[in-house]
Amino acid sequence: MGLDFVGRGVGETDGNIITTSIEKVVNWGRKNSLWPMPFGTACCAIEMMATLASKYDLSRFGSEAIRFSPRQSDLLIVSGRISIKMMPVLKRIYDQMPDPKWVISMGACASCGGVFDTYTLIQGVDQFIPVDVYIPGCPPRPEDLIDAVMQVQQKITSGASPKGVEAVV
Amino acid sequence: MNEEKEVEEQSKPLVLEKLEEHHADALLAQDEMRGTAVVVVRKEQAYTVLEYLKTDAELAYTFLVDVTAVDNSQMESELMQFDYARFMVVYQLYSYQGQCRLRVKVPVHESDLSIPSVTALWKGANWLEREAYDMFGINFEGHPDLRRILMPDDFEGHPLRKDYPLRGRGERERFNFDKQNV
Ligand code: SF4
Repeated sequence: MGLDFVGRGVGETDGNIITTSIEKVVNWGRKNSLWPMPFGTACCAIEMMATLASKYDLSRFGSEAIRFSPRQSDLLIVSGRISIKMMPVLKRIYDQMPDPKWVISMGACASCGGVFDTYTLIQGVDQFIPVDVYIPGCPPRPEDLIDAVMQVQQKITSGASPKGVEAVV
Repeated sequence: MNEEKEVEEQSKPLVLEKLEEHHADALLAQDEMRGTAVVVVRKEQAYTVLEYLKTDAELAYTFLVDVTAVDNSQMESELMQFDYARFMVVYQLYSYQGQCRLRVKVPVHESDLSIPSVTALWKGANWLEREAYDMFGINFEGHPDLRRILMPDDFEGHPLRKDYPLRGRGERERFNFDKQNV
């Protein structure tokens, strides 16, 4: 079953009992059913769609349940340029997501403004919302997004809290 | 005689001929660019000419593809041609009937940025003119709702003007995120 995190190995208990902690079981569930909220505002979103579609198939990682309601999701994927007029919308969506929530900043634009150092573009969404994983690239390939999702999964497995929680405490 | 005329018609688009015939006084220049006829029209007659282009049964430019503007303030060669008018308002038209495009350009001086709105002719002009207003500050007279469309309402300046700095005048840093209605 791949329950590699359990306190004791299966063999030690003749396969009848496994011991673990509740956090680990909960995290195991969380990790394998991240529900992404896509925030696609530019070309990066195309790569995100490719990642979600059949060829790259993000559902292999348990993340196929895309939710367009922030209240039903726990992974915000910011993919694209965010203008000053859009930033309050993004912030509001982030605020509406229930804890624990994770944020992936996909691509150069979301992470640092990219080549668009212009009058209207936010130079990195992390100025306003806590970002857990950054993906470089313009645009990043679907493999990069998958890698970022896996990094989020690793963080969850390791029991680390999302950046957003740290920011609140 | 007849044959000669046919050859002439082929070389010159019908729209240019008809404009010369009916609105010669409004035409400042005419040209052809990659198969698209281009006419430059005096601002005072711009509305009449556009109305004519839309309603004339033979031309029927019923589709307004785009309304935008160009800031020529750093294009000396362009400025010279049209009495140092800083802006050029550009209308892109398409005729389904004739299956051809037409570009109508109207020089607008900085001292008087108003130009008649064509929303009465094409409803689709509404947002297009709002964009040109937002980006260049062209004042479309008679527009039902001339507000900014892309930039935030409290934004100052018109960012596609050539004298507007690329990184803005601090709007990005000063922007009041709490005041916005989302
Ligand atoms: S990083 Fe590149 S691909 Fe992604 S939104 Fe920016 S410009 Fe588009």
